Amino acid sequence: MEEFTIQDLSAEAEGKRILKGVDLTIRKGDLVALLGPNGHGKSTLLNCLLGSPHYKVTSGKAVLDGEDILSLSTDERSKKGIFMAFQNPPDVPGVVTMDFFRGMMNAHLEKPISLFEFYKKTTSAYEEVGLDSEMASRHLNEGYSGGEKKRNEILQMLLLKPQLALLDEIDSGLDVDALTLIANAIDKMRKEGTTFIVISHYDRLLDLIHPNRTAVMVDGKIALEGDYSLAQRISKEGYSFLEREKGISIHKEEEAVPSLGVCGAKVVSK
Amino acid sequence: MITRIDSDLSLVKEEGEYGILLLDNSLEEEREITLPRGKELFLSLVDLSDKSFGSHIVFHLEENARLHLEIASLLSKGLRRTYRIDVYHEGRNSFSRVRFFGIDFSSLPFRFLGSSYIPNGIHGCDTRQEGRITNLEKDCQSEVSPALFIKDNDVKASHGAAVGSYDENVLYYLMSRGLSLSESKKLVTNGYLLPIIDALKDEKTIAIAKKRLEERSL
Repeated sequence: MEEFTIQDLSAEAEGKRILKGVDLTIRKGDLVALLGPNGHGKSTLLNCLLGSPHYKVTSGKAVLDGEDILSLSTDERSKKGIFMAFQNPPDVPGVVTMDFFRGMMNAHLEKPISLFEFYKKTTSAYEEVGLDSEMASRHLNEGYSGGEKKRNEILQMLLLKPQLALLDEIDSGLDVDALTLIANAIDKMRKEGTTFIVISHYDRLLDLIHPNRTAVMVDGKIALEGDYSLAQRISKEGYSFLEREKGISIHKEEEAVPSLGVCGAKVVSK
Repeated sequence: MITRIDSDLSLVKEEGEYGILLLDNSLEEEREITLPRGKELFLSLVDLSDKSFGSHIVFHLEENARLHLEIASLLSKGLRRTYRIDVYHEGRNSFSRVRFFGIDFSSLPFRFLGSSYIPNGIHGCDTRQEGRITNLEKDCQSEVSPALFIKDNDVKASHGAAVGSYDENVLYYLMSRGLSLSESKKLVTNGYLLPIIDALKDEKTIAIAKKRLEERSL
C-alpha cells in the first residue's frame, strides 16, 4: 500500500447518520492515532472501511492505491490487505481456532500452506502474544477472557501480515505486560511495512507505539489533525480545549426524533 | 463404543456408548429404552440421511441412571423430520442431558420436541434439554421446543432453545479474515455438527460422515 484516501465518507445505521463526510489520507508507514469522544463515529469508520453489514455507506470513497474498496465485499477487502482487530470479537462456537486460522491463511495464499509451515507460524505467533498454543484446539474466542480475545486478534494480524491494520480499542482490558507484548507486535509489523489506524482511549499504548499522526473525530468528521503531540495534549487535557481554542464543538448534533403518541384500547366483556 | 451406520435403535442397550450414523436409512420408529439403576448410556446420533421421518424415543431412568444423548441432524431440501425425545426420571438422583443441533435446508417442518418429566418425590434429579436449529432458507419451518414437566422441588432442571439464521456478526468476523460468505457459512454450519460427528469415535465412520456433510452442506 502506498496511499489510502478516505473522501467525504458518510454512513448511517438504522436511518441515523453517524459519519458525516470523513476525509483522511494515510500514507505507507503511517501510524495514525484515531481519537475522539465516545460515540462520535471512530469504530463506525473502521467498520465501514471493512464493509460491516451494520452500516450503510451513503456517499464517499475509500481509495486504496487507486481502487475504491467500498464496492468490494468484506473478504475481498481482507484480501486487499486490510485487517481489523475487533473491539469485541464474537464467540464462534463449534469452529476450532486452528481450522479457522488455516482457512484464513489459505484465503490469502495462492497455494495452501503446508502443515509444517502452518504449525511453525502459529506457534511463533502464539509465543509473540504470550498465549498458550494449546488454545488453537479450542473453539474460536469461546470462553476466552477479554485479554485473551485481544491477544488473539493481534495474533491473527501477525499471521496475516496486512498492509493496513485497523485496531479498534485493542488495549482495553489489558494488563501492562500484555500491553507491552501488543506494542512490540505493532512495532514489528510497522517495521515490516504495515500501516496502522489505532483507536485508543488510553495514552499507555500510544506512549509505547508512538504514532506519527493524530486524527480527532468529532460528530462523524475528522475535526482536527496533528502529530503525536496532539494525542499527548488530549491525553493530558481531554477534549475541552478543542472548543476553547479551535472552535470545534465536541457535542454531537443530534437529529430531532419525532415524538410518537401511544394509544390503546381495551374491550371488557361483562 | 459401538458405532454403526444406518442402524436402528435396537442397537442401543441399557448402558454403554453407542454411535449411529444415518446415511440411507430413516429412523422412523418409536422406541422405549430403560436405563436400570446406576447404569449410564451415551448415545451420539448423526443424521445425514435423505429421508423424511418422525422419531419418538422414550427413556426411562431408574435411580442414579445417567443419560447423555446428542443428536446432529441435517435436513436437506424437500424433506421433513421430527425428533420427539421424552425423558422420564423415574428414580432418584437420575441425570439426563439431551442436546440437539439441526441444520435446515428445507422449507418443510423440522422439529425437535424434547421433554423431561420428574414426578413428585423423585428427589435429586438433574436434567437439561437443549435444541438449536440453524435455518439456511428463508421459508424454513423449524421448531425447537424443549419442555420441562417438574413436580418435585429438589431437582436441577434447565432448557435452552434457539432457532434462527446465521449470526451476522460471526459471518462478518469470519469474512473479515478473507473467507468468502459461502466458506464462512460452511464453517459455521459444520461447526455445529462436527463435535457430535467426532463423538462417533470410529475414524472410518467419522470420515464417511464428514464426506457426506461436505456434500450436503454445499
